Amino acid sequence: MVSTKFYTAIYVVLFVSATVQVLVEFAGLAYWTAFGIIMVLSAAKAVLVAAYFQHLRWEPRSLTYLVGIGLVAALALTVAASYSLL
Amino acid sequence: MSDTDPERTDGGTEVGSEVVAGGHEDDHDHGHDFPGTGSIKRWFVTTNHKDVGILYIVTSLFFLVLGGVLAWLMRIQLWAPRAPGETILAPVAYNQAVSAHGLLMVFWFLSPFAFGFANYIVPLQLGAKDLAFPRLNALSYWLYLFSGILFGVSFFQGGTFSGGWTMYAPLNVPTFTPDVGASTAVLALVLFVASVTVSSVNFLTTMHRMRAEGLTLRNMPLFSWTILLTVWMMLFAFAALLAALMVLSADRLLGTTYFAMESPAGALLWTHLFWFFGHPEVYIVFFPALGVMAEVFQTFTGRRIVGRKWFIIAMVLVAIQSFVVWMHHMFLTSINLQVKTLFMITTIGISLPFDLMVFALIYTMLKGKIRFTTPFLFVFGALLLFIIGGITGVFLGAVVLDYEFRGTYWVVAHFHYVMVGGVTALVGGLYYWFPKITGRMYDEFLGKVHFAAYFVGFNLLYFPLFVAWETPRRVFDYAPELAPWHQLATIGGFVLGLSFLIMFYNLFKSAFTGDPVSDNPWEYATTAEWAVSSPPPLENFEGTPTYRDGHLSFILDRESDVTGGATAADGSGGATAGGGVATSPHTAVTTEYEPTVEATEVEGPSHASIWPFVLSLGAFLILLGISPLQDAAFPEGMMGAAYATTAVAGFGVTLGSLIAMGLEPFHGPVFDEGEAWPFSGIDNGKVGMWIFLASDVVLFGGFLGAYIFTRFAFGWTGWQPVPDDPIPGLVNTYILLTSSFTVVLALVAAEKKHKLGLVTSLGATFVLGIGFLVNKALEWQHLFHEGLWLSTNVRTSTFFLTTGLHAAHVIAGLIIALYLTARAWRGAYLEDNRSVEYFGLYWHFVDIVWLFLFPLFYIL
Ligand code: HEM
Ligand SMILES: [Cu+2]
Repeated sequence: MVSTKFYTAIYVVLFVSATVQVLVEFAGLAYWTAFGIIMVLSAAKAVLVAAYFQHLRWEPRSLTYLVGIGLVAALALTVAASYSLL
Repeated sequence: MSDTDPERTDGGTEVGSEVVAGGHEDDHDHGHDFPGTGSIKRWFVTTNHKDVGILYIVTSLFFLVLGGVLAWLMRIQLWAPRAPGETILAPVAYNQAVSAHGLLMVFWFLSPFAFGFANYIVPLQLGAKDLAFPRLNALSYWLYLFSGILFGVSFFQGGTFSGGWTMYAPLNVPTFTPDVGASTAVLALVLFVASVTVSSVNFLTTMHRMRAEGLTLRNMPLFSWTILLTVWMMLFAFAALLAALMVLSADRLLGTTYFAMESPAGALLWTHLFWFFGHPEVYIVFFPALGVMAEVFQTFTGRRIVGRKWFIIAMVLVAIQSFVVWMHHMFLTSINLQVKTLFMITTIGISLPFDLMVFALIYTMLKGKIRFTTPFLFVFGALLLFIIGGITGVFLGAVVLDYEFRGTYWVVAHFHYVMVGGVTALVGGLYYWFPKITGRMYDEFLGKVHFAAYFVGFNLLYFPLFVAWETPRRVFDYAPELAPWHQLATIGGFVLGLSFLIMFYNLFKSAFTGDPVSDNPWEYATTAEWAVSSPPPLENFEGTPTYRDGHLSFILDRESDVTGGATAADGSGGATAGGGVATSPHTAVTTEYEPTVEATEVEGPSHASIWPFVLSLGAFLILLGISPLQDAAFPEGMMGAAYATTAVAGFGVTLGSLIAMGLEPFHGPVFDEGEAWPFSGIDNGKVGMWIFLASDVVLFGGFLGAYIFTRFAFGWTGWQPVPDDPIPGLVNTYILLTSSFTVVLALVAAEKKHKLGLVTSLGATFVLGIGFLVNKALEWQHLFHEGLWLSTNVRTSTFFLTTGLHAAHVIAGLIIALYLTARAWRGAYLEDNRSVEYFGLYWHFVDIVWLFLFPLFYIL
């Protein structure tokens, strides 16, 4: 589908963004700002891996929804459980 | 299955006997020796869905008896209120009986009983020759059986688990339940969940991908519909339970402290994890019963269910909503009032679709012409019981009322009405499908006697519990004035239990001497299982079933008549509401006159493999071996050594059988694509892998949820990451990302048929994975020397356990990578690189998980 070059580019982006995550931590930002940036970077990397390395981009969308349902279930549990403590 | 007995297949269809004969003949052709049903060996190697279904049914009935005997012991104890000194069972023995009864009935009887039917019937209703992965189906069964045996063993290791089927924390940790058997019971559940997961993946792939042409989901028979929804719920709910059980096992065996008294919100954490699973679970056990009710109502009222479409929509709604009501089991915990109110509302919401289903069933009955056969009686009884159970459940769903009812016999009565109400329907299902499975009719009179005794016994047992609701649950002492009600209940318990003797006698005798039946002994039964002989031939259908013309017909390879007692796929068009219409001769695609036997010999799928059995045995030995661990150490002396040896042996057996299974030539059912929404165009293997990964998302979600929840309870920012230095974690991120990249390169090389590239890339992946583990080991060793270990506190527990689960995934991946590398070295995967692709999906997933673990455990 796509060239090795393209996969390599994705790989480099992933590599760099992992590094950035640690740099953000050392940059001395406010905790929740750093938290936000770092989690967004993680999510972005996850999307890249799923979309290109796992080829979800080129598969029928139903597979993406399938994983999405699992993700929603896990998030619902985490968020509602944590909220119940408040 | 009567290939040894020609008389039994005489249901008037040549189709039956012919293919059976064919199936017999083709045995020796695959190099798989597939013995007849009379041989013991057959039952150890079979992968055929009908055999597996029978195994499930028989085994689950055995667990019914076991759970029933425990219930009798409890009812005897409850004949009179007793102070601790004057009991029949010692107090702890009573607690064990209560807990084991609940666990056995819910997990080892009820669902597997339903899945016996699911295994047998669903592929027939779909028009498939077998499930998508027959060996995995056999594996599910053997894992289930061995998990049950493991649970049985737990009784003999000082005593089984005694903290109730809900296994609430902190009673579930060794401080309070110190017996080895208690750990074994938890491990038995882990094994059971493994079985369920394999089974869910298999059923979902089959049901979405292998429906006959024209059999859209809309037209799918209702029993299949309920099973489809059940497995969807199972996939996600049991993954959450697996997370809970693995954490609990770690607390018990390795010494982590998630649920310990001193951990913040440990007890609450368990209730969240357990009930997130637990509420969907009540529908998981109930839905198949609902499916049986719908099928039997339609057959014996001679009418299509009223509002079929709405019935299905209501079920889909319930299945989704079942994941958002779990906190109604937690109204008496410290969760806040807003969330209680919210969950009260969702609970009221979920009872509405149920009302719709109940009314649909009632209307169907009113509009049809009822024939009071045994299956109908049971199913009708089940409806009445379910209505009572449902109404009393709505009481419990109201926060204020639940303050009063929680922990009383009201709850006990409620859930026995709904759950054993479900059993009632399934017993109806057993009578309904008995002639299909055995080819013989049961004795109708004895069936009715059974129903009468059962129904009287049931209500005598459970109704008094509503009246005596003030009895505290799980306690054998109660107010003396309630004694008469408990005595009634005890009598009812014996009537109910003994009524099963009638059934066992009837079914056992009829299986050998009952009147032989035709394809369709029930007039008006319209689903496809009734269109084939009783019992159906090994590969279910001669020719390819199709619903292209709105009713079932078979496309044959030869010109001849096919009798299908059949019909519209349940629900397509009301024209057949009156009854089964024999199909007109189908479109015959003629090739040769008698090609069938020949064809089967060449292309026929395999049916035998011993490896599912051996693999399950290995898993059993591993878990038995590790059961006495405490704080990650075996007990001293001979005993400890024996256990450790068992675990190691189990590991060897497991690994060996996995490899053997990988190398064994085995052909799944051949399937020309029919209806496959929403996964058409994707290979079965890939669909299965993604479904599995979706459940793994929930497993990790449970672990991460537990971590986030605990940290939240502790105070988020007061909690420092365990490793003081994120750099080793960063290095591991690099390693894992690189290994993902090499897997991508491996697939590219395989696509280019470039052997050296493939082997190198896979080898590189393996080496990188090892590097990841070594780096991790160094880091852990460092932390250990700083005095930080699993059991230090809940902060270190979450770190080591969550990253440890991830490392276990890496190890599993490396074993596969090694296997793939070795096979690629010998030239595999250049023609068919799907194995490499599927491994990649798994490996990238493990990579993605790490992308979240790294920041959450190392930097934030
Ligand atoms: C109309 C729908 C239903 C409603 C509103 C409902 C509501 C409830 C509530 C609120 C509780 C918690 C009671 C407490 O512990 O204080 C409960 C318990 C329970 N329900 Fe239901 N329920 C319904 C249907 C069902 C069905 C269909 C089943 C199973 C087939 C079921 C099985 C159970 C079980 C097993 C428990 C006890 C859990 C335990 O051991 O603590 N319920 N129900
Ligand atoms: Cu519930």
